[in-house]
Amino acid sequence: MNIIAISINHKTAPVEIREAVHLTDDEIRNLTQKIKNELLNEGLIITTCNRTEVYGIPLQQNISHQDIEKSLLNFKLVSGLNSEHFQYFTASSAIKHLFSLATGIDSLLIGDNQIFKQVKDSFQTAEELNFTGFLMKRIFDSAVKAGRRAITETAISEGAVTVSYAAVQLIEKIFSNLNKKSALVIGAGETGEIAAKHLRERGIGNLTITNRTFERAQNLAADLSAAILPFEKFKESLYKFDIVLSATSSEGLILTKADVAAAMKKRNYNSLVLMDIAIPRDIDPESKNIDYVFYNDIDSLNIIVQQNLSKRIEEIPKVEKIIEEELNSFLSWFNSLEVTPAIKSLRDYFETIRIEEVEKNKNRFSAEDQEKLDIITKRIINKILHQPTVELKKFAESGINSDEAAEKISIIKELFGLNKKDEKEK
Amino acid sequence: MKAIIDTINILLPIFYFVTFGFYFYDFMKGGKKFVNSKRLFLFLTLLVHFCYLLFRTIYFDHPPITNVFEIFTILAFAISFSYFILELLTDIRGTGPFIIIISIFFQIISSFFIQDVFQVKEVLRNHLLGIHVFSALVGYSAFAISSVYGLLYLILYKQIKLNKFGLIFDRLPSLEVLERLSFISAVIGFFLTSIAITIGIIWLPKAFPKFSYADPKLIGTFLVWLLYGFGILSKVFGKWQGKKIVIFSIVGFLIAILSTIMSNFLALSFHSFY
Repeated sequence: MNIIAISINHKTAPVEIREAVHLTDDEIRNLTQKIKNELLNEGLIITTCNRTEVYGIPLQQNISHQDIEKSLLNFKLVSGLNSEHFQYFTASSAIKHLFSLATGIDSLLIGDNQIFKQVKDSFQTAEELNFTGFLMKRIFDSAVKAGRRAITETAISEGAVTVSYAAVQLIEKIFSNLNKKSALVIGAGETGEIAAKHLRERGIGNLTITNRTFERAQNLAADLSAAILPFEKFKESLYKFDIVLSATSSEGLILTKADVAAAMKKRNYNSLVLMDIAIPRDIDPESKNIDYVFYNDIDSLNIIVQQNLSKRIEEIPKVEKIIEEELNSFLSWFNSLEVTPAIKSLRDYFETIRIEEVEKNKNRFSAEDQEKLDIITKRIINKILHQPTVELKKFAESGINSDEAAEKISIIKELFGLNKKDEKEK
Repeated sequence: MKAIIDTINILLPIFYFVTFGFYFYDFMKGGKKFVNSKRLFLFLTLLVHFCYLLFRTIYFDHPPITNVFEIFTILAFAISFSYFILELLTDIRGTGPFIIIISIFFQIISSFFIQDVFQVKEVLRNHLLGIHVFSALVGYSAFAISSVYGLLYLILYKQIKLNKFGLIFDRLPSLEVLERLSFISAVIGFFLTSIAITIGIIWLPKAFPKFSYADPKLIGTFLVWLLYGFGILSKVFGKWQGKKIVIFSIVGFLIAILSTIMSNFLALSFHSFY
């Protein structure tokens, strides 16, 4: 199998290089057109914030990883990018790498199932650009199957592994139905925005944003269909919220224990979740001593993140087993592509010899015996070829490395001169 | 039939133990391996237990309420049955081990010590008494379940407050759900004890010549009933919630147990049959 792949990822290159190599949708289309004409017969380009990878079947035997790498370097012109930042994969290792990607075990955040969707999107783009042939389609199907199996059969994607998701996970351990709850997000910066989006995704009933700069709050509120609260007034309305998520860049506390205590009194001690994901902290940690106040800061949320990451790491061997199974299944399919014609050639070769010899000698037999001669010689040939046929089929079904299978097939072809025969026929 | 009754008596603790095993395995592993089979096995256990109670009633010609060990087997059944209904209603399947273990406790004691009683007081053969006792026991089982959920609420509350995110945090449902389960169980318990009390008020004065409204068991049960009624109303009208309501449920159950022990073993009552 002559599939090759190159990859720049979080293991091989620093973030600034990965960012610089990242391809936009238009760039993927342009690069695809370029390499499709010059280097690859069929292929796939995957690009995410943490990796850029190119997979493909070369147009000619002499096209190597370096040629694809050169093509990418010429296309992106990234300073500081060199061969050391690339990983190369060939044949089954390239497929195995793609499966690892689809199952999330090669991600920076192990088990991140965003990558599964990104692989699917990349393939869709390749298909739109007629960059996929029957082999890439089959590889993609197997990758998707491996990805799905990893999600359903293991816990590789379970549990929150980011602080903002951990905050939501914790909130869901306190409240059963976020539809009926109100949340206030203090701070419309990147962290606040991510947290607000997570809350929206989990179906929060009412979402309100407050920020020192009113315009930023307005923009985020418009994106998430949220209400806006002037920053100067949010303390007065604190009691109205079940969840308060703070992520400002304030130097000091913006909510004291007294503020929280006053709000709790007003809300008749209904549970209040305070998520302080700011550094330095926005909310007085002493607030956690008030009954029904569930206060968490970055450190406590990180405990959840670390625990979940450890659990995911424990799942890696199970995912690797799935990858191995899917790879074997793919290789046995692929090997059968080579084995079936080889069996046919071998049988044709013996049949030709048999027919020739029967034709040469049939006059030595009576008319009655000629028929018997035909049957007996056929039987002899079948018996001779039975064992090699079974063994060849076994190569295919065992899913051994396709190069190994190809080597064994070529020995058989060479022994019986099947290559010459095939060439003559061509 | 006697052989069947004796065989089921030995098998019941094993059945409960296996059911507990399924629930416990899923709880510890966090997987969904036995998600449906554990419920099915609980149903089978309850079915076998129901047949056992029915066979005893038919064979001994009285409902199995004539001694403590018969009461214990009904309690084991009632607790798991109440949990089964609650699981069907809410589809929350992770809390089973904490409830089924109580059934194991009662059933083991019952299986070891239960006796064959043919001669009982005539009043104990009355079917109305059977309904009265059965509703009271299922009601008390619901109170027990309510207090277990209350206890789980308090444990999870404490764990979240202390930032301990272990097995309890991972497996238990949310605090709101635990509070709701505790409350629903208390309401079911209150409803069933109301039935038991109503039957008692109508039928007991006729059945017992020595009947007295000052009977300690009657007063104890009525106080427990009032206590739960007060707690339920407080919750319904929005005054009480969270920790306060679950602590109330736990305390209510402890008082119920204490009242039963005191009225059964320490005080003289027309209600004592054994």
